[in-house]
Amino acid sequence: MIDVRNITKETREGVQILKGISFKVEKGEFVGILGPSGAGKSLTMRCLNGLTKPTTGEVVFTDNQNNAINITSCRGKELRLARQKIGVIFQGFNLVKRLSAIDNVMIGQLGNMNLFRSLFYGFTDREAMQALKVLEKVKVAHLAHRPVGSLSGGEMQRVAIARAMYQQPSIMLADEPIANLDPNNARKIMQLLKPLADEMPIVGVFHQPEIIQEFCTRIIAIKDGNIVRDGDNKITRSEMRDIYGAELSEIELNRTEHSAVSYQLSALGD
Amino acid sequence: MEYLIYRRKKTLNKVLVVAGVSFLAYWAAISCKVDLSIFWQGIPKGIEFIGFMFPPDWEALLEMIYPAIETVLLAFMSTIVGAILSFFFALAAASNVSPPWLRNFSRFLLATERSLPEIIILLLLISALGLGPFPGVIAMSIGCIGMLGRLFGDAMEEINPATLESIASVGARRWQVIRYGIIPQVLPSLIANTIFRFEVNIRLSVLLGAVGAGGIGYQLFYSFQVLEYQRATTAILVILILVFTSERLSKLLIKKIAPEAKLK
Amino acid sequence: MNLTIEKQYLPSERYKKAITYVTILFLVVVGLSIYFNFDPWLFITDFHFLVDLLGEMTPPNFEVLWKKQKVFSSILQTISMAFLGTLIGGTIALGLAFFAAKNTTPHPAVRFFVRIFLSIERVIPNLVIILVFLISVGLGPFAGMLSIAVGTIGMFGKLFADAIEGADGDPIEAVYAVGASKLQVIRFGIIPQILPSFIANLFYAFDINLRAAIGLGVFGGAGIGFEIHMAMKLMRYKDALALIFFTIILICLFEKISDYLRKKTMGQDILK
Repeated sequence: MIDVRNITKETREGVQILKGISFKVEKGEFVGILGPSGAGKSLTMRCLNGLTKPTTGEVVFTDNQNNAINITSCRGKELRLARQKIGVIFQGFNLVKRLSAIDNVMIGQLGNMNLFRSLFYGFTDREAMQALKVLEKVKVAHLAHRPVGSLSGGEMQRVAIARAMYQQPSIMLADEPIANLDPNNARKIMQLLKPLADEMPIVGVFHQPEIIQEFCTRIIAIKDGNIVRDGDNKITRSEMRDIYGAELSEIELNRTEHSAVSYQLSALGD
Repeated sequence: MEYLIYRRKKTLNKVLVVAGVSFLAYWAAISCKVDLSIFWQGIPKGIEFIGFMFPPDWEALLEMIYPAIETVLLAFMSTIVGAILSFFFALAAASNVSPPWLRNFSRFLLATERSLPEIIILLLLISALGLGPFPGVIAMSIGCIGMLGRLFGDAMEEINPATLESIASVGARRWQVIRYGIIPQVLPSLIANTIFRFEVNIRLSVLLGAVGAGGIGYQLFYSFQVLEYQRATTAILVILILVFTSERLSKLLIKKIAPEAKLK
Repeated sequence: MNLTIEKQYLPSERYKKAITYVTILFLVVVGLSIYFNFDPWLFITDFHFLVDLLGEMTPPNFEVLWKKQKVFSSILQTISMAFLGTLIGGTIALGLAFFAAKNTTPHPAVRFFVRIFLSIERVIPNLVIILVFLISVGLGPFAGMLSIAVGTIGMFGKLFADAIEGADGDPIEAVYAVGASKLQVIRFGIIPQILPSFIANLFYAFDINLRAAIGLGVFGGAGIGFEIHMAMKLMRYKDALALIFFTIILICLFEKISDYLRKKTMGQDILK
């Protein structure tokens, strides 16, 4: 569970980007964050795992063993242990391109490894088998030993998800994970993420309203550093226009409506 | 009209530059004690001298093999030691690894080292430690650090920070990020630059050898000193083979091991 | 699906492989050390020699810089050697480059021989060159300057030739098309294209040659290199350190000046 308590963020020049963001996400929820560019979505995400420290406010993360950790105030070893339980995937995949897929996955447990061993010996065979199993879950086990730089975007993101899963996290964060993928692969990735919500909260930033409506359980909209909407996953066209303003074209607004309809239809079909 | 003024200015600039350079060249020539008459006289002397150097003294070839190996091994060892030390210097000199004060200080040290010709370093060390390969290796290793330290440091700074951030996001410690995030990405460039430096070190090894580090450089110098010029030619031939082979070898190795690397 | 990892990919196997390479390297280095009587203990036992030397060298005697007239002139000598050597060497290199480039050479055979000459010249160590010049024109800065010039030809001959060959063909064709002679084509079609890189390389060469001039000074008996060598031989260590400091400052200064001049000329593009 992650509890964001009224965080604000001011730049060094005094520009306020985040003006008071609060929300709570529990196990079972798949939260989709949307909003216009520059609204502060990525910044919020970075505050969730300590990559950025908010100017005021705090983020409290409770892991699966019910330990509450204040991400904002902890540093050093505490922060690392907390991060080990937070799985993150990024828009740019952010894998080490020269290493193989399986090596990239095994990096996920570095937080738990003995420092000396991880620096001088590397990984064990058992860890490799575990990593291979995780790669199998995301259906890229056959690419385990290829350097990830040679993989396609969709395959790379799967490896990134595998790495996050290998951490055995208590929460999953996703910063625009499908922005660089074609629609087909994007859906496949979302279909991989969706089942994880049963075991842990998932918070993701997405730009595609139809994706959010189909896969997320809750939509949070951030505009100008404030939360302007925090509710269920049915979002209307006029709401979208209010949030995005001129950014969204008519076509995209139409897509919002259509996907809302198709979602309801598919819900009926179930 | 304006165009004419522009052209006139340009021509004036051109003339000024040429005049300035010629003026400097004139004074430089005086400082260098350039004397064309000596030069003209020197040409036949030089040619005559080169005549003395042929044919090479083939018997001395056997004596040259051992020093040649020494020279190569000297260069090899200095490159290895230098590269390892440079790696750590580079970590200190990379802005994404090291705090600003350390980074700037390291860069300053590296730049200072690059301003010191290795010969001077060797002279210093010889005064302290005597002749022989020991000061030679130290001098060349230090020389390596200046060049490789900067190249490695630049390579590290060019890494996409997002990758390093994502490794930190899984809870890794600083040295783990270095081992799994930085090293894999800069390794091709490290290896390529090290191999390139080996080539440079072979030439240096010859030069430093003449000053006192031993090896074939010393053989060359010694031959001149005892006026056995044909022996010197043999040494020169061996040196040519060494340098040429090291060049070819280094290009080949770089292509094979690390084709994607960017040099210099 | 039966998940297995092939033996070669197992982390334990990869570790064994890596460790083997490292161990071999380590043994080679250790072997060489023994062979060279390169006792690492020497670092510790003989370290005091370095410290002693450092002690004798400090405080550096900066007075030698202005007291001894000879030192001042030798500084000028070093700079002049590098400057003139670069200038002459660069010009000759450019001239030869025209003969070595496909698009400007009078005859393919000429190109062939010039290229070979440049290749050989590049490989001859500076040491040999200076020894030959020492015998021809005697000790002193003249020999040093000449050998720097020759060295520069070797370094840049091939580079310039490649640059000429790489010049854009279109402007060249255009100048031919108006009926210009070959020399005119070179003057108006090729030279403007390669001039910026030529000048940039000249600055780069000067940087390198300045260091070389110091180094060669040791042999040729000219310049700061020689002064430092002498100072150390005569055990005037305080003088030596002062000179070394000055050398470092000199090189840094010239680097900055080169950078500045290069930016100025490149930006203005004053020479057409």
